[in-house]
Amino acid sequence: MSPRAITGLGIASTIGIGKEAFFAGLRHPPAIVDRAPLSSFDPAKYVGDDTLAQVLEVPNFDPAKYLGDKGLRTLDRLTKLLVVAARLCLHDAGLKKDNQYIQSSPERVGLCCSNAYGSLEAITELDRVAKLEDARYINPAKFPNTVSNSASGYVSIWEDLRALNVAVSDGNCGGLDAVACADVYFETGRADAIIVGGGEAMSEALFLAFHKLGALSPRALLGEGAALFSLEPLDLAIERGAPILAEVTGYGTSFVAPDTEGGLIHPSAEAMERAITNALAEAGITAADVDICASSLSGLKAFDARELTAIGKAIGPNACVAQPKALLGETLGAGGAMGMATALAWLQGVSPCAEVLRTPSNAGHGETLLPERLDTVLVTTMGYYGNASAVVMRRAQ
Amino acid sequence: MTLAAARMAVEDAGLKKTHLSGPRVAVVLGTTMGEADVLEDLDDAWIQRGQRGIKKGMIPKYGSTLLPIHVARSLGAEGMVLTLPAACAAGNYAIGFAADLIRSGRADVVITGAAELLQELQFSGFVRLAAMAQNRCQPFDLNRQGLILGEGAALLVLESEEHAVRRGATAQAEVGGYGLSCDAYHITRPHPDAAGSITAMRDAIERSGITPDDVDFVNAHGTGTRANDLAEAKVMKEVFPHRRVPISSVKSMLGHCMGAASALEAVACVMTLETNIYPPTIGYETPDPDCNVELVANEARSGRADIILNNSLAFGGYNAVTCFARPGKLPQPVRLPRPRTHGAAGKAAFNSTARRIAPESELPPPPNASAA
Repeated sequence: MSPRAITGLGIASTIGIGKEAFFAGLRHPPAIVDRAPLSSFDPAKYVGDDTLAQVLEVPNFDPAKYLGDKGLRTLDRLTKLLVVAARLCLHDAGLKKDNQYIQSSPERVGLCCSNAYGSLEAITELDRVAKLEDARYINPAKFPNTVSNSASGYVSIWEDLRALNVAVSDGNCGGLDAVACADVYFETGRADAIIVGGGEAMSEALFLAFHKLGALSPRALLGEGAALFSLEPLDLAIERGAPILAEVTGYGTSFVAPDTEGGLIHPSAEAMERAITNALAEAGITAADVDICASSLSGLKAFDARELTAIGKAIGPNACVAQPKALLGETLGAGGAMGMATALAWLQGVSPCAEVLRTPSNAGHGETLLPERLDTVLVTTMGYYGNASAVVMRRAQ
Repeated sequence: MTLAAARMAVEDAGLKKTHLSGPRVAVVLGTTMGEADVLEDLDDAWIQRGQRGIKKGMIPKYGSTLLPIHVARSLGAEGMVLTLPAACAAGNYAIGFAADLIRSGRADVVITGAAELLQELQFSGFVRLAAMAQNRCQPFDLNRQGLILGEGAALLVLESEEHAVRRGATAQAEVGGYGLSCDAYHITRPHPDAAGSITAMRDAIERSGITPDDVDFVNAHGTGTRANDLAEAKVMKEVFPHRRVPISSVKSMLGHCMGAASALEAVACVMTLETNIYPPTIGYETPDPDCNVELVANEARSGRADIILNNSLAFGGYNAVTCFARPGKLPQPVRLPRPRTHGAAGKAAFNSTARRIAPESELPPPPNASAA
């Protein structure tokens, strides 16, 4: 891929809202004990359930602070997280000031937004009304929220993004796949800037799903959030004098099915290794150029082992590996974008803190020293079904 | 439905297992809600019997992500697996992106299209939006009542010209350019000025290297709601100011199959190219003076069909228009428009990766094809 510039970041994460707060959170992670009580669902009925402590929310999320208090009533949490992230991103990129475009135009700015599970909040709420009362009583203003691309549609409405609006779904890999989509849309001249990334919102249904699957533990945290970048063709970004925070230079993806007609869940080291190899090839670099890997290690044993194997094979046993999810939680459709946001912070000079560095610090068993200067970061995502994607980011030249 | 359509598409294309395996084969599908029935069952169990009622094994089966995974598993494809949930325009989004993947050299074969199942929540939602007709769907009719929901799956095989020639395949159609835009206006209603929709159609025409005069027929989005019909009539008037281009809505026959709709209609488009027959809009009785379009009313009609457009609109203010052409009728190679504002660097990079390609769609007989 031609180098694409990241010119802005908007983020609502479990360690803070906005680029500055996010970077600060990565420098000095907030203590988990200081967290506010859960607000996305009523935790009262799970009192005494230890797994509740493994659920991370965007703390004190108050969308009205960023969006004003009009028009928020029918929006679900996913939409509000994404709209806030988009607004912060457009301003950080200098495309907007005081919520007005000051560079480019709505017709030339688009959105590619990943999400894995849609608005479980809206779907389960309407299902509940339909089952317990009557389908005739479901709130028509909330019905559109049940559609998978609703949140990204609302982002366009709130932020006036008209060039294109593409919702992307590939589970945990979607955040990186959105970058690949944007790359194709740039290549075909469909937009000058695309707000790229993903979002996932906490809800009782999402918590229950992970709880029932036994996928929560002190090492496997479930999170939420939205992370969106302003991505632009490098020459256009330079032309408009945009701040260039980092560059994206390569993407790779792969799918490998299990050997036998096995179960649906399939952590594939082979897919992950191929995705990394493809991303490096597209970036025109070798494994030795990778300074650190922002992996998608999430505390799920089988997946983590396979991902480490793949990184070890593709980059080498001494590859320095970080696990942003240990801090941010598993954010599913937003995961790839959260990994990229973390990589962006490193490329901007934030040192990876102990909480995100894997121990041992590499893909093998020994110790690897963290390079003093990080110029090239590999971001990886491993899907639940044999899918995997990777992206290469480098320091702005 | 998706797996059945995938198998039909692959058989119809005469693709062997060796053509389908490996990293150069991608699966890109559209949908509105994916496997919504799984979630409905999970929800039902949760509501009726509390969290103990939820079957653990069912949980991983939910997600729009899974449709292309299932297809890739069944075919052995190892390239990109991607869902573009673009509601009622999802088929056009997926097919267009699939064509770009091939044109940019990222894949040789893409299994693409869309699928949707009929499900209670969607049904009651449309009822509550007062968008549903009692008996029938009558697009562009003065007395239209609204839409009728349907379901289905339609998948196509897109191939690079090189790949198709190498294996001696016959192209059923070529995918030309496609246009995308977003109204950024209302979550369910199209913009009354239809500016986004007009842009998308003009873009599809321009990106196909043709002019509006070259378009023989337009497959309408034609849901049977007044807001849709007015917007679409406006698009036709603006894009084709000097000609009355025939237009028709197969939703009058298939119902509105939501995420699958524009993929089913892509199949109808290819059939139109093959037969020179425009499918009718049935149930048309009373002309609507506000929708002055050249409707193929009630009876199928013969006419030239070398180059046609598939129009779609969707929740979220999504607009997408795809051009389909009889093989050889589009300027060769299909011209990918130069980035409009890119400088020299972007252009050079683009040229180095672009290949001369005419993706070919090979058609499955879709579940509902007989109705068309």
